[in-house]
Amino acid sequence: MIGLVLRGLSTRKLRSALTAVAILLGVTMISGTLVLTDQIDRAFVQIFEQGNSKIDVVVKQKPPFKDDQTEVYLNADLVTAVRAADGVQIAEPYIQVQGYVIVDGKPMDQTGGAPSFVFSSVSEALNPYTPIEGRLPTASGEIAIATQIAEKSKAKVGQSVTLATQDGIKPVKIVGIVQYGDGTTSLGGSTTVLAPLIDVQNWWSLQGKASYIYAKAKDGVSADELKANVRAALPQKDVIVQTGKENADEQASVLNNLIGKIIRYALLAFAGVAVLVGAFIIYNTFSITVAQRTREFAMLRTIGASRRQILGTVVGEAFIIGLVASVIGIGLGLVFAWGLNKLFGAIGFGLPATGLILSWQTVAVSLAVGVGITVLASIFPALRATKIAPIAALREGATLPVGRFQKLTPVIAIVIAVLGAAGMVFGLTSDADTTSRLLTLAGGAILIFMAVAMLARFIVRPVVGVLAVPITKVAGGVGKLASENAARNPARTAVTAAALMIGIGLVVFVTIFVGGLKESFTGAIDTSLKSDVTVTARGFGGSLPAGVLGAVKAVPGVQTASPVGGTVVQVNGQSLALIGVDPTTITDVYKFDWNTGSDTVVQNLGAGKALVEDNIATSLKVKPGGTIKVQSINGATATFTVAGTYTDPSILNGIVVEQSALKPLLQSNATGLNTVFVKEVPGSNADTVQAAIEKALAGYPTAQVQSNAQQKEQVASGVNTILVIFYALLALSVMISLFGIVNTLVLSIFERTREIGMLRSVGTTRRQLRAMIRWEAVITSIIGGVLGVLLGIMFGWAVCKGLESEGLSFVFPTVQIVIFLVLSIVAGIVAAILPARRAAKLDVLEALQYE
Amino acid sequence: MSTDMKTTPGTTATDAVVVATDLTKIYGEGDSEVRALDGVSVSFPKGQLAAVMGPSGSGKSTLMHILAGLDQPTSGSVLVDGTELAGLNDQKLTLLRRDKIGFVFQFFNLLPMLTAKENIELPMKIAGSTPDPEWQATLVEATGLGTRMSHKPAELSGGQQQRVAVARALLSKPAVIFGDEPTGNLDSKTSSEVLALLRRAVDEFGQTVIMVTHDASAAAIADRTLFLRDGKIVRDAGHLSAGEILDTIKTLE
Ligand SMILES: Nc1ncnc2c1ncn2[C@@H]1O[C@H](COP(=O)(O)OP(=O)(O)O)[C@@H](O)[C@H]1O
Ligand SMILES: [Mg+2]
Repeated sequence: MIGLVLRGLSTRKLRSALTAVAILLGVTMISGTLVLTDQIDRAFVQIFEQGNSKIDVVVKQKPPFKDDQTEVYLNADLVTAVRAADGVQIAEPYIQVQGYVIVDGKPMDQTGGAPSFVFSSVSEALNPYTPIEGRLPTASGEIAIATQIAEKSKAKVGQSVTLATQDGIKPVKIVGIVQYGDGTTSLGGSTTVLAPLIDVQNWWSLQGKASYIYAKAKDGVSADELKANVRAALPQKDVIVQTGKENADEQASVLNNLIGKIIRYALLAFAGVAVLVGAFIIYNTFSITVAQRTREFAMLRTIGASRRQILGTVVGEAFIIGLVASVIGIGLGLVFAWGLNKLFGAIGFGLPATGLILSWQTVAVSLAVGVGITVLASIFPALRATKIAPIAALREGATLPVGRFQKLTPVIAIVIAVLGAAGMVFGLTSDADTTSRLLTLAGGAILIFMAVAMLARFIVRPVVGVLAVPITKVAGGVGKLASENAARNPARTAVTAAALMIGIGLVVFVTIFVGGLKESFTGAIDTSLKSDVTVTARGFGGSLPAGVLGAVKAVPGVQTASPVGGTVVQVNGQSLALIGVDPTTITDVYKFDWNTGSDTVVQNLGAGKALVEDNIATSLKVKPGGTIKVQSINGATATFTVAGTYTDPSILNGIVVEQSALKPLLQSNATGLNTVFVKEVPGSNADTVQAAIEKALAGYPTAQVQSNAQQKEQVASGVNTILVIFYALLALSVMISLFGIVNTLVLSIFERTREIGMLRSVGTTRRQLRAMIRWEAVITSIIGGVLGVLLGIMFGWAVCKGLESEGLSFVFPTVQIVIFLVLSIVAGIVAAILPARRAAKLDVLEALQYE
Repeated sequence: MSTDMKTTPGTTATDAVVVATDLTKIYGEGDSEVRALDGVSVSFPKGQLAAVMGPSGSGKSTLMHILAGLDQPTSGSVLVDGTELAGLNDQKLTLLRRDKIGFVFQFFNLLPMLTAKENIELPMKIAGSTPDPEWQATLVEATGLGTRMSHKPAELSGGQQQRVAVARALLSKPAVIFGDEPTGNLDSKTSSEVLALLRRAVDEFGQTVIMVTHDASAAAIADRTLFLRDGKIVRDAGHLSAGEILDTIKTLE
């Protein structure tokens, strides 16, 4: 039987290859994603292993709750106790902060929003950086720069440059060029600067603080022993003592959670779409080939093949196709991973990566999905093949029997659609955790796609009927024939179109969703901001130097400069933003959308009172008059009475308190100033005032001055980058569905060989024949495109409505939809090229005699 | 195989391979009801080549399908090599076909991707058994295909393909071989090659063959000729010449 399967595959080479491609691309995406994220994961591990290679024990502050994006600091004086512990050879405090060096006026910072780091320099015995030129910085005003900065900026040892710090620009001198570990990896890419501890503490408001205390053991003392000794010397509960290895693992996993995991799940979601599309095509291809092989299966049954053997032949074929496709897909996955890495680099999200890693898990998952989905998709067609009665071998024109299942299709499809809709509603409205909501949402969408695919066959005839009119007008008799061909086997056309529908549907959905996100930000700027210019800190999590506020206020033409600060706090285990505002000025620059309360309430806020964003109030179940207890990441707690609620899921999305109330809750180095909203004197020239503010802030390179229009542009460009990535990933799924169209056409041309011979013999030209096939493809792709657009709009609308309270608004992307529809027609034309050529090449005589 | 058997149609012989009793087959209901078979009782002894004839629509194919267990009668019973077909489930029927029945189809029904040799071996492969090499060699010789055994069906003539199909049916030494117009798609010359092979299967290899045919010259090689009309056996004769057959057909029409 296996021999028979192999023989069958090799005689149907083109068909088998096209079917394999359907699953191959999905597997490529899966394996590529796993390879890439393994690389990232491994790179992080390597980076931190090298960072900790000279360190036996690390002491750090234990935050009251976990927040991967916020640094916590500990008391640097603890180093005395550490030094006193048994077995300690050397111990030093160490700090890491965000900042960068400026060489000849050019900031050497990270692009794409990744942080740029300044590290305090520790003794060479502990330092992961080694000077390859000059030395490590020791005295105040000295720095060392990473080799990458030296190469990029051409800066030399001995050169005087400036350092962008939280306290403004500081003049420094380069005393060394350093390399991280063995030079194969780097932390923070190309931007690292080392500076003496004292400078970092002073310039980042971290006097007396440290990120970690590093300790090295005397010879003969193991890291574990040293850890126990240090722990004994530091009984404080809020201090963590780890070995260097433990610290490396933790650091790697924190970063991996922030980056690697997100990339992994996001990419796997797109791979899942590709696999789903592939499954549709495999299902369709097998359905068609089973129908075409009815006679063959019947004959096998008459000569003694059992139903199981027939099932085995079809499923075996699927298994082999799946296996071959998966193996090739795994190989291509390596290429895909490499390409993605380059792509991320090109758009400014450079990722650390080691050499390509093909783990056995990647191979196992890719094989399981590739083979599993192919086999699964072939099972229904295979079961139908087993229903073929042996007698069909003897009857002329025998066709596949209509299964019981098939008659129930509409009912089953409606049940599936209802389940899918229920899943989506649950995903959008329940208050379960985000992961399960997203999964039910996605599951619901898949079910709806399936239901529509099942029901699509009922609309094929009417839709083709409508399309036939213009097509016949344009293409004449050939167009009429094409319409009839497309409607001849509605189920086939429907499933082929459905594969395209998924890709187009998601493209439309993503367009609407991302457009809604963009609108929620830009709309909020329009509706909530009364200010003209906003000053923010470049890079994430950054505080503005305290001096910025005064500098802005002093600029002529500035009427109001209102400071806003914030920190992360926990309320009932939920991490939220605590926002500090200046009650006397905030209402001049920001328009509260009140639910309860009024501008007078803010103006008289006072300590101990808070305003809560409406969604947060709902999820915290607090009402005006109620109290909320916040726990700061610095360990302090505070209780506020809710004075009012307002709606703003974008700009002031959190709990608003007075600046003075925020202060005790800030982490060590935060200035409590993240943003300054500036309102100009009415009638002043906006450009002039903005230029004046920029000039006034020249000494604060981390401060970024933007007009409202520039803020919107920044949001739009960020959104566009995301859209480009999404489109690129969905394009793969659309491509797979094109293979589906090619496959269906090739199969139906093969089936109609004799008919095509007849058409040719009665005078149809090759050109006309090609046009006929092309129109068939276009009809299929129009059906897929229109269904996709409709579903995409529906999903987009549902998700935007569901998340309306979180600021998402539904914007109908008219222009894009027209483009997508045109593109799906083009897709149909492209898909028809190969099949049309094959049909046109058929020899008339041979085709007529074809049996 | 006495000569006696060739001339007298056996009806009650204990060594009958196929025994049908009171077969009726009704298609449709009410006004559109068609009695494709209307009380057919017939039995085929071992080692006989029987031809079933009759005008189009007389029920020949229906009879053969029911005798071969491919279709169920509305009433009546069929015994194949002692096994009652009524009530057998699909699995049992499959095994019965595998072991006891061979088929030769009008449209050869060879698998295009397999060579002639592989096509012949296919049923044994499906059954998971190995053919007796001596027997296989005999059959290969009997087809007269010689070196063409390694060719694909597309490279063989219709007659050659049909001889492969006959060899395929013979390889497992079934109790009975059914043929539905085995020469229906062949010209007279290639027809006679296929018929000769069927004849040889009965005479030399002791096989039993029941074939439906339209062709008087095909039926003329049979040991027994059955004539059907309107679902009833109207004549059950021994060996007839082509002329006698044509005369009988005329009276039937
Ligand atoms: N599947 C079927 N459904 C309905 N009527 C059938 C079917 N098969 C055969 N018949 C009818 O039964 C009668 C006998 O058919 P058949 O056995 O094929 O005749 P023959 O093979 O002698 O030409 C004919 O009238 C035919 O129309
Ligand atoms: Mg017939």
